[in-house]
Amino acid sequence: MTVLRWLRSGRVLAGLLAVALVLALAVLAPAIAPHDPEAQDLTMTLQPAHLGSAYPLGTDALGRCVLSRLLFGARLALSVAIPGALGAMLLGAALAYAAGYLGGRTDRLIGRAVDAVTLFPPLILILILVFALGAGPTNLVLAIVLVDWTRFCRVLRHEVRVVVQRDHVAAARLLGFSHIRTLAIEVVPATLPLLVTLLALEMGIAVVVEAIVSFLGLGVQPDQAAWGQMIADGRTALHQAPANLLAPAAAILVTVAGFNLLGDGLGRKLAARLVEDRA
Amino acid sequence: MARLAPCGRRLLAIAQRLLAIAQRLLTVLLLLFIVLRVLPADPAAPAAEIGATRQQTSLDEALPMQFAIWLGWLVQGDLGHSSHLDRPVAGLLAEALPATVELAILASSVAVLLGVAGGLVLFALQWGGWQGTGGRGTGRRGETRAALAETGTMLLMSIPAFLWALLFILVFGVLLAAMPFTGRLDPGLSHPFITGFLLLDTLLVGDPRAFLSAARHMVLPAVALGIGFAPLVMRVLRASLIEAYQADYILQARLRGLSEEQVLLRHALGHAALPTLGLLRAQCGLLLGAAVLVEVIFAYPGMGRLLVDAMRNTDLSVIQGVVLAYCAVVLSANVLIDGLHLLLNPRPRAR
Repeated sequence: MTVLRWLRSGRVLAGLLAVALVLALAVLAPAIAPHDPEAQDLTMTLQPAHLGSAYPLGTDALGRCVLSRLLFGARLALSVAIPGALGAMLLGAALAYAAGYLGGRTDRLIGRAVDAVTLFPPLILILILVFALGAGPTNLVLAIVLVDWTRFCRVLRHEVRVVVQRDHVAAARLLGFSHIRTLAIEVVPATLPLLVTLLALEMGIAVVVEAIVSFLGLGVQPDQAAWGQMIADGRTALHQAPANLLAPAAAILVTVAGFNLLGDGLGRKLAARLVEDRA
Repeated sequence: MARLAPCGRRLLAIAQRLLAIAQRLLTVLLLLFIVLRVLPADPAAPAAEIGATRQQTSLDEALPMQFAIWLGWLVQGDLGHSSHLDRPVAGLLAEALPATVELAILASSVAVLLGVAGGLVLFALQWGGWQGTGGRGTGRRGETRAALAETGTMLLMSIPAFLWALLFILVFGVLLAAMPFTGRLDPGLSHPFITGFLLLDTLLVGDPRAFLSAARHMVLPAVALGIGFAPLVMRVLRASLIEAYQADYILQARLRGLSEEQVLLRHALGHAALPTLGLLRAQCGLLLGAAVLVEVIFAYPGMGRLLVDAMRNTDLSVIQGVVLAYCAVVLSANVLIDGLHLLLNPRPRAR
């Protein structure tokens, strides 16, 4: 029922469509890409975009197919963003439930850890973690998890503190529910909508982080198709082949806007429902 | 005695704050040490002269000892030596830190200006203007317009700073050729160095041509960086305006016969100052992170570009120094904003 109501919101629907489109293209990339994204054709460098030709979006400076690289770039972006955001959510949420539910010393300790990490500008900490761990998508995911769990932890801990004060939680404890059972039945469901919203927003953030890291050439191998790397390369050939820069830029926009609309729409529905509940 | 007691309590409070700051600084150092010295299998391995780097960074000692040695150097003000640029890191930072802070301050000003303007428009759209808002009363049309405006700001927020930067270069730099977009000064102009803040320095030496050139070079990077944060200011402003117009003091101000403009400027906007400050405090780190790529794209000689170059050349001392400087900037901004908060908000002061 709730899902149906969410779908009626234009924002959620638009966000869902954009995300589903990017996800489908990423999954189907090997099947629908016209060329091998890493295959170079040095006789056909910097071709402008021309629908109907062998290279619909043109080629880059090494004669690689821009459309194919765009599709495989979506694969890389989502394969960093989805596990990165999920991992950050799991770590952040686990610590937030522990801190918010147990309170006391655990709460202070976890709060200290959040404070320590957030003293670093998040992107800077991700960059030096990637530098220390070595390049590659797996390490980038790890870096995102190690930094962005704080986003979840901070917001969610506050929410958990509020929920824990409610009567139904006290009632569950009085009935003799264990801590784990109280958390699972009474606390977690109450915070789930917030968690989903944060998750969608975090995926958008992670897509941007992946683009920035690959723009700087620090995240992935130089051969691998990545939106950030395509933008960095496309800058040098703006006059001959503008699609080299515009296509990945548009792809980032659609993906991030999709996740943001989804998260924001869900959040707003959530806020509206919270108001209704209180009335 | 009765008069001395509050003074002593205040000193104690200040001492506690300083202690907390020192504690956070130490945590930053420890985390940085762990990330850069403990995580990599051999931090000196990729460097060109392994022997020299190892000796210089005391990598042969046990880890706790290394940390202690590093702290000792930092206390003496020694940030190390860049192996790639062959210059002391402190000197590099003296040039790059003010440049980044200058960019961040200008970008925040852009964000606040655009955000306040946009927030007022958004508020006016939803509530049909502040004239005649007697608390509640937003029509169906107002709601639709507000929803559209909010979706619009949401889409604006989805554009990362580096895409704004590229867009501005494309439009104002290349197509219109109206604005410079590399470096900080036109070729042929000299860079005076007094405080490190170029706009201030060119004014101090009284060189209007250099000042104008520096100002023109700042426009695109500052707007590109600031514009992405404007929608956040906009939302905070709109929310606090709505809250303010439901409060009794607005009614009182109206009853005192103040005009709607006076009510807005003196009372309603003032209500938004504290949440906006809080937003700036929370977003400071994000702004600095976004600035990294903006600096790289505009060839702006700040800490972000220094950091990226150092990472490409595995210049460990520079990376350490720059990240430390970033944390110092975040920490100082936090302390500064907390101070402003206390000045503007009398409530916690009384306690």
